[in-house]
Amino acid sequence: MPLTTPLTETGILGGRDINIIIQFIDRLNDLIGRAVSWLTLAMVIVTCAVVVARYVFSFGSIALQETVMYLHGMVFLTGIAFTLKEQGHVRVDVLHERFSERTRALIDILGNLLFLLPVAGYIFWASLDYVSFSWSVKEASAQPGGLPGVYLLKTLIPMMAGLLILQGISETAKSLQKIRTS
Amino acid sequence: MTLAPILLFLAVFVVLLLGYPVALSLAGTALIAAGIGILTGSFDAALLYAMPNRLFGIVANQTLMAVPLFVLMGVTLEKTRIAEQLLDAMSRAFGRFPGGLGVSVTLVGMLMAASTGIVGATVVTMGLMALPAMLKARYQVPLATGTICATGTLGQIIPPSIALVLLGDVLSNAYQQAQLSLGIFNARTVSVGDLFAGAMVPGLILVVLYTAYIVLTAVTHPEKAPPVRAEDINARELLVSIFPPLLLMAAVLGSILGGLATPTEAAGVGAMGALILAAIRRETGYGQLRDIAISTTKTTAMVFFILIGASVFALVFRGYGGDDLVTAWFQALPGGVIGATFIVMLVIFLLGFILDFIEITFVVVPIVGPALMAMGVDPVWLGIMIAINLQTSFLTPPFGFALFYLRGVAPPEVTTGGIYRGVVPFIMIQLAMLVILAFMPQLATWLPGVLYQ
Repeated sequence: MPLTTPLTETGILGGRDINIIIQFIDRLNDLIGRAVSWLTLAMVIVTCAVVVARYVFSFGSIALQETVMYLHGMVFLTGIAFTLKEQGHVRVDVLHERFSERTRALIDILGNLLFLLPVAGYIFWASLDYVSFSWSVKEASAQPGGLPGVYLLKTLIPMMAGLLILQGISETAKSLQKIRTS
Repeated sequence: MTLAPILLFLAVFVVLLLGYPVALSLAGTALIAAGIGILTGSFDAALLYAMPNRLFGIVANQTLMAVPLFVLMGVTLEKTRIAEQLLDAMSRAFGRFPGGLGVSVTLVGMLMAASTGIVGATVVTMGLMALPAMLKARYQVPLATGTICATGTLGQIIPPSIALVLLGDVLSNAYQQAQLSLGIFNARTVSVGDLFAGAMVPGLILVVLYTAYIVLTAVTHPEKAPPVRAEDINARELLVSIFPPLLLMAAVLGSILGGLATPTEAAGVGAMGALILAAIRRETGYGQLRDIAISTTKTTAMVFFILIGASVFALVFRGYGGDDLVTAWFQALPGGVIGATFIVMLVIFLLGFILDFIEITFVVVPIVGPALMAMGVDPVWLGIMIAINLQTSFLTPPFGFALFYLRGVAPPEVTTGGIYRGVVPFIMIQLAMLVILAFMPQLATWLPGVLYQ
């Protein structure tokens, strides 16, 4: 049984092109995910700095506290697509465990098309006005002494949606390949 | 369109069973429902624009920042084998006493679980770490598996569990909403600290009951829990393996309960403490730190994605008047508050068969919480009842989560029947605890009252 040939007959894009797209998206989210994950350790350090500043030097720094918020936002918002790639989002596996590989791939394809792309598209589209307004006034922290980059932090929201759309495309392609080879 | 919210809830339930990621199933089903509503003119499209601001609210939420920090603390204790060595040292210190190994497993599980918050992960970790040791010590299979399943779920209601952090945050919003609906504008608040304090007494009672059951079994049926061959433990091991992790947990909890630090600050310091313990053992090479960081990121993204999905769901559910429907429905129930609470507990118990703690916290509590609290239910008591109830649900055959996950990592000589039989006594303990707490709410409400008023 030739395992590679069926993929090359898929319309406009050949199998090799699809593999290149999958690889590009997976590498992109892998790189981003691995890079931002180090920020979790930075969060620990900055949180401790906030505590030391407050309890040892009795000095409360809004800027430091807000730094933790920025790190936190970067970690979980950009980590969502990475976690999808790593199959780290929980599923209800009562029935899922008993389905065949093929059925699971089918569920993933339908889910990606009916749920993932619309939801990520909606978050992307709905947040554009919200974020562009924030950019237009270069929105800064409402707190005295806070950080000036709220508009950058808010930009992470459409970015999360964009990365998720990309990863959704890659996952769908991988599931299609699974169905074709099974 | 009073049927719409019910249909939405049922649709989500069916979709979830297919096994597509929970966060996207919640948001996707809700979005499709909203789309149908917009086309038929029964849903206000403008509501959907509220989402970006909600999302930013999640980013800016101070309390929720404790989640990645607690996760990092738990992951560090697990990946650098601090927890494993603690269990090893404790079982050697207490193994010679009747049930000593079982009790050690309970205590370590309670400590570990406290910082993970996902039932499956804890049960798997405990199963891999403790089951071989217990079987090697010739513990009877049901007793060993029962202890591990029960301890794996126990951690949820022992502070500082992530489950309680998330539940505390959701309850505090729900409580404010309940008071606003009653026209109280200078609303009282409930915090994560309140919930931690409220969980202390019931949690400790459960630990005592578990321990008592194990010791009692070991005394009356020594063949079920034979003492481990006495092996002396030296002072150095005691000092290196046992005290530091225990001290760390005590410091984290103490500083929150004593009002010295916010949960987020305590979590940060706790995570730093865990990293320092790992560094002392020379377990903080590049590879280990990278694994800790990636594992923390994945768990954090997973938790927050469910929160995002659940907020889309909640937005649409409310848009269709779902919360009014629930309130009206509760008020029409016979038995008033007690009847409504009982129904809610029953529904949560059943939902626990398919949904984990986090999902139920984000999806169900915002729907039923405000209505119940507006009827006079105490928020801390409600939170602890939900937590113990869910813990029981996770243990109950044939659907309990804990049982599935342990089955997955147990050696073949452990039968499914054995696992089922093993949890029965622990389910009895749980049910007893629920009944006691139902009739004596002070067990949950007393400590927060003393500490924070």
